[in-house]
Amino acid sequence: MSITQYNGSAIVAMTGKNCVVIGCDKRLGQQALTVDMNFEKVFRVKDKLYVGLPGLATDVQTLHDRIRYRVNMYDLEEERAIQPDNLAHMISNMLYQKRFGPYFCEPIIAGLTEKDEPYIMGMDLIGCLSSAPDFIVGGTASDNLYGMCEALWEPDLGPDDLFRSASQALLNAVDRDAMSGWGAVVHVITPEKTETYHLQGRQD
Amino acid sequence: MVPANRRGFHFDNCKRNELLESKGSITAKFTKTGTTIVGLIYKDGVILGADTRATEGPIVADKNCEKLHRLTENMYCAGAGTAADTEYTTNMIASKLELHRLNTNRQPRVVTAASMLSQHLFQYQGHIGANLILGGYDINGPQLISVMPHGSTDKLPYMTLGSGMLAAMAVFETKWKPNMERDDAIALVTEAVSAGIFNDLGSGSNVDVVVITKDRTDYLRNHSKPNQRVPKQTSYKYPPGSVSVIRKEVRYHSNANQSPAAVVPEVVMSES
Amino acid sequence: MVPTEHHGDQWEPYVDNGGSTLAIAGEDFVVIGSDTRSSDGYNINTRYDPKAFKFTNNTVLATTGYRADCKSMAKSVQAQITKYAHDHGKEMSVEAMAQMLSIMMYQKRFFSYYVFPIVAGIDKEGKGAVYSYDPVGNMERVGFRAFGSSSALLQPFIDDQLGFKNRADIKPEERELHLPDLQQAKNIITDVFNGAAERDIYTGDGLQLFTITKEGGIELEELPLKRD
Repeated sequence: MSITQYNGSAIVAMTGKNCVVIGCDKRLGQQALTVDMNFEKVFRVKDKLYVGLPGLATDVQTLHDRIRYRVNMYDLEEERAIQPDNLAHMISNMLYQKRFGPYFCEPIIAGLTEKDEPYIMGMDLIGCLSSAPDFIVGGTASDNLYGMCEALWEPDLGPDDLFRSASQALLNAVDRDAMSGWGAVVHVITPEKTETYHLQGRQD
Repeated sequence: MVPANRRGFHFDNCKRNELLESKGSITAKFTKTGTTIVGLIYKDGVILGADTRATEGPIVADKNCEKLHRLTENMYCAGAGTAADTEYTTNMIASKLELHRLNTNRQPRVVTAASMLSQHLFQYQGHIGANLILGGYDINGPQLISVMPHGSTDKLPYMTLGSGMLAAMAVFETKWKPNMERDDAIALVTEAVSAGIFNDLGSGSNVDVVVITKDRTDYLRNHSKPNQRVPKQTSYKYPPGSVSVIRKEVRYHSNANQSPAAVVPEVVMSES
Repeated sequence: MVPTEHHGDQWEPYVDNGGSTLAIAGEDFVVIGSDTRSSDGYNINTRYDPKAFKFTNNTVLATTGYRADCKSMAKSVQAQITKYAHDHGKEMSVEAMAQMLSIMMYQKRFFSYYVFPIVAGIDKEGKGAVYSYDPVGNMERVGFRAFGSSSALLQPFIDDQLGFKNRADIKPEERELHLPDLQQAKNIITDVFNGAAERDIYTGDGLQLFTITKEGGIELEELPLKRD
């Protein structure tokens, strides 16, 4: 088994009309043994900027710490809010520096730009960026999420429709993946506010 | 803590990863550009072509990625192999070439870029998985040079690389001829990349083309789009109340004219 | 992807030729979708190699896995079905065919066919029936099932659309009211196969849709899928 599948995770980000959602499952496991049922993998970076970190849990936490450090330094040095594309390239650079001894984590960025346009970006564990107009998925349930999202996503969904589509994609994907699940958290980011939903999922 | 501004590659995770590897197999799945990339020299210059599929194992990770990297105004580089390596290697060489241009006040030459690429890749003994086709036009005319991961170079009038290279080369070997006209050459490049897109599972989606001549460079992003998705039969929107919510929190953004109360927790059992 | 070649000391007898199948059982119908691509590694062996075949006027067998094993197994099944018809003077029922396939597969327990079959048909009560198997013949009657290289992409979606999993607005006892009719089932298969062809490199080229009803027998529709 790949080390990226050791702890289990599922993350999805989707774009809508003037909004984005990003959600994750809550399981932390050691292979088949569930250790924690409240291990969130999506983190707030700024009001309208979130990062999802699927992969090896130790690297998820280390990377989150390093991202927070770098973003705080950016705030102090630049005296302006970091934008989603800046963050994406910052994380990409952090990962590629460790090209020959990588973090086992494939970050996903979701947020709204300065003009409140939706922005999503994914990357592999050595920082190869990949953008998409519709959705980005990651983690052990990524194949399941690809199938769900390809079928469910459509352009210009409003925040409510987008929340429901992303939530159903996530919940049904993790139910067919043994390594992720135990409920989910979904953040719906709109220009005015971010709504965070804790979802009921199968507890097995 | 490691200083954030330390330059070059970091190897501090290597020991740990070795340990993890010894306890169980690590099969790191990098994004590969399965890829068909091609290049040819025609009457007035050089043309590069590429497909736009990036794969992670048997799954398409990016349906419309960019494999033609700009080095300078007169040089482009098509990349196959490990996607992050082609991206970062070409970016680094591009900035080196720009500094070189400013220092020397001359248009950078294709051989300069080829030397830089091959020396960089040779230094890393093939561990940087970049397979490149470099095309450009300088005072020596149009040139096409391939650079392999170990640093070897080749200079040819037409070439193909990546998992779809045989499909594309089949087209070139049948139809390429010296001193082709611009439109015919673009059509041939498109046909060669399309052969890769349709016959090689590692390649897919659209055709990107760049045409470099003495005076101008035309980057034709998605020149051909033969694989558009068909419209869906049904919409799969869900009705309100279809997701069971345990807890909902609202955080108003500071720049909006809303209450500055950071988090307003709300307990609801099912979505309103 | 395992080549049928001498790999060091070890000879590998199996190849995965990719492709996907998906069957949905309705109240009085069954729909079976399958793509027509057969591949080996990054190569397409052929763009038209149907995975699903009509066996009686009432049953279809769809199989993914190793194509040679799929075809060999299908031939043996067909021979038995023909023999059964001659011996008993009637066609084999879906139930009988399903059970027979399970036995035939388990008979090869220690050098099994590398196959993932689905048997679909109309049962004796006139209801849609789908049977799914593992490669050694473990059989299960299900409402819907996806197999093959895209199974991970297809199955969660039909869990959602036909199993109404994670649907807070639909009570378990009301599920039957929301089940799709024949046309809706076909639309679901078409849409989800188009999605799978976008993301799974081994699924594509063509989609075969078999429809089985009690009155209409077996109908076949062929639709294009992405060819890249």
